[in-house]
Amino acid sequence: MKAAAISVSPLSGVLSVGGPARRGWAFAQRLLRNRSALIGLVLLAAVLALATAGRWLFPGDPWEMAGAPMLWPGQEADHPLGTDFMGRDLATGLVSGAGVSLLIGLVSTVLAALVGTAVGALGGYYRGWVDAALMRVTEVFQTVPKFVLAVVLVAIFKPSVGTVVLAIGAVSWPPTARLVRSEFLALREREFVLAARTLGMGDARLILTQILPNALPPVVALASLSVATAIQTEASLAFLGLGDPNVMSWGTIIGGGREQVIDAWYICGLPGAAIVLTVLGFNLLGEGLNDVLNPHLRER
Amino acid sequence: MSLLDIRDLQVAFDTRAGVVQAVNGVNLRVERGETMALVGESGSGKSVTAYAILRLLAKPAGRISGGQVLFQGTDLVQLDERAIRAIRGNRIAMIFQEPLAALNPVLSIGRQITEAIRLHRDASPRAAWEQAVELLDRVQIPSPRQRAQDYPHQLSGGMRQRAMIAIALACEPDLLIADEPTTALDVTTQAQILALLKQLQLSTGMGLLLITHDLGVVAEVADRAAVMYAGRVVEEGGVNALFANPAHPYTQGLLASLQMDRLRAGERLPEIAGTVPSLLDLPEGCAFAPRCGQAHRLCRAESPRLGPAGTAQRVACFFPMAEPVARSLAA
Repeated sequence: MKAAAISVSPLSGVLSVGGPARRGWAFAQRLLRNRSALIGLVLLAAVLALATAGRWLFPGDPWEMAGAPMLWPGQEADHPLGTDFMGRDLATGLVSGAGVSLLIGLVSTVLAALVGTAVGALGGYYRGWVDAALMRVTEVFQTVPKFVLAVVLVAIFKPSVGTVVLAIGAVSWPPTARLVRSEFLALREREFVLAARTLGMGDARLILTQILPNALPPVVALASLSVATAIQTEASLAFLGLGDPNVMSWGTIIGGGREQVIDAWYICGLPGAAIVLTVLGFNLLGEGLNDVLNPHLRER
Repeated sequence: MSLLDIRDLQVAFDTRAGVVQAVNGVNLRVERGETMALVGESGSGKSVTAYAILRLLAKPAGRISGGQVLFQGTDLVQLDERAIRAIRGNRIAMIFQEPLAALNPVLSIGRQITEAIRLHRDASPRAAWEQAVELLDRVQIPSPRQRAQDYPHQLSGGMRQRAMIAIALACEPDLLIADEPTTALDVTTQAQILALLKQLQLSTGMGLLLITHDLGVVAEVADRAAVMYAGRVVEEGGVNALFANPAHPYTQGLLASLQMDRLRAGERLPEIAGTVPSLLDLPEGCAFAPRCGQAHRLCRAESPRLGPAGTAQRVACFFPMAEPVARSLAA
C-alpha cells in the first residue's frame, strides 16, 4: 500500500493542459527544456540524418572496392573519410552502419518492450502462481550472461538482420518485465482500479485501458536506454562476424579494421566514434525522459 | 419486491490473526427511489457490506460466508463472474470517498465516462462522447464540452466528485451506492453534492445506498437509516423516527454525542464508554453489551435479533430504550 501511495500518476503532472494534442505539445516543450534530452535528441538527429541524407550524399554499395586501400580521411576528395584495407569507401560504410544500427536497435527494443511489458503486466496483475512462473523464467534469462546468450542464439540460427533482432530482443526483455511488474503490483491496489471494477470491467480491459497507461512512462525511459545497449550488442555481434553478412554494420567495419588499428586507426576510430555518439545520444535521451516523466525528480 | 434486499449477509476475512467476521448477519432493504443511509463507525462493516453487494471483496482474503443479496429478486451471491460484471456499473453503480484516487489519472474525464457507457451499451465512440458531455452537463459541470477533455488533477474536488457521479450514472443504474461521497469535500461543496445526488435521484428514480458516518448528512438526505455496530445492523427505521426515538442504546449514544449545543461550559463531552470490540474476538451475545448501561445477563448470553420497535423501526436489542423490559421479554 505504501508503494501504491508513492507512485503518483507519472503522466498527469507532466502533461498539464487539455486534450491529447495540447498534452503532447506540453510534453515536447518540457522535454526540450531538459538539457540532457536536448543534447541526446541533437545527437540522434545527426545519426538519423547520416542514415537518411547520407545515402544520397554517399551512394553506392558499401562492400564495393571503390578506390585505393587505406586512404586516410581527406586524402582523396572522392573518399572524404578514406577507405579501408580493401579499398571500400568508409563514408558509405558509416551511412550503411547508421541505418543498420538504428533499425536493429529500435526494432529489437520494441520487441523486448512488448515481451517485457506482457510478462510484467501479467505477473504483476495476477500475482500468485502466474507471477511465480513468469518470474522464474525471467530469472533464467537474467542469470545467463546476456551477450553469450545472444551469440549462441545468432550462431544457432543463420546470422541475418532478423535473427540479430530476435537475439537481442530475447536477451533484453527481463529488465522491462521487472519494471512493469513492480508498477503493476503497486497500481493494481490503487482505488481507480477498484472503481473501474465497479463499472464492470474485466481483467483484460483493466490491464490494457486502466493500469497500462499509468505504467508506461518509466517503460519509455527504460526503452531509450535499452536501444543504446541493443546498438552496442549489435556492433559487438558484427565485430565477431555474427552480423548479417549482407549488410555493412559499424561493428563489421571495426572487425575488419582491427588488424590495421596501429597503422590506420581511423578505420576503427570512425565507426567507433559513431557508436559512442549514438549510444550517448540514446542514454542522454533516456535520462532526460526519466527526469521529465518522473514527477519526483522533475522538481529539481 | 424490493430493489435491494440483503438477508443475513455474512462476510469473513481470513487474516494472519484469524478469521475476521466483518459482517455478521446484516439485513437491509433499499426500495426504488429511496435513500437508505448505512451509518456506523469505522470498522463497523458498512463499506464491506457495500463491496459485498457488488462482490468486490479483496480476494482471496475476503469472502461472503453466508446470506443472500437479492437485487430485483436475483441473488447476486450466486451469480457467476460474467453475470455480476454485467450488473456492475450497469444496474448498480458506486461512487467513492476520494474522487482523485478513484479517477484514472491519465485518462480524460470524458474518456472515462465514454468507457463506462461503452462497457454496457452499444454506442459509437462519437455517440458515447456526446452522451458523456450531456452527463457532465447533468451533474452541473459548467462548459462540459471543454471539461470533458480535462484530466482529474485539473478539476477541483467538487468537480471531480461530480465527474465521478457522471461516470456512475453513465448507464442509468437502478441502485447507486455512495461510499462516504462527501467526506473528502469541504462543507459548502458537500451540501452541493448532496443536493445534486438528491435531485438526480428524483429524476431517475434510482435507489441510493448512502454509506456515511456523518449523522448530519443522514438527517439531510436519507429517507431511512440503518445503524451498524460490529458487523450487524442494530437499528433501522425512518430517519425522523430514528432520530426522535432511538430505541437501541448505541443509536442513542451516537445521537447524544452530537448534542453539544446543550452542553454547559466546562462539562465533559458526551461519549459512549469503552471501545468497539475486536472483530477477531466478538463477545458472546450482544456485541454492544460490554459498553451498554442497560446490559442484562441475557444480553451477554444471547444475540438479539432485529425485531419491530414502534411502527417504523426495527431494533436488535432485548431492552429497547423506548419501552424497556416488558415487551422485549414477551418477544
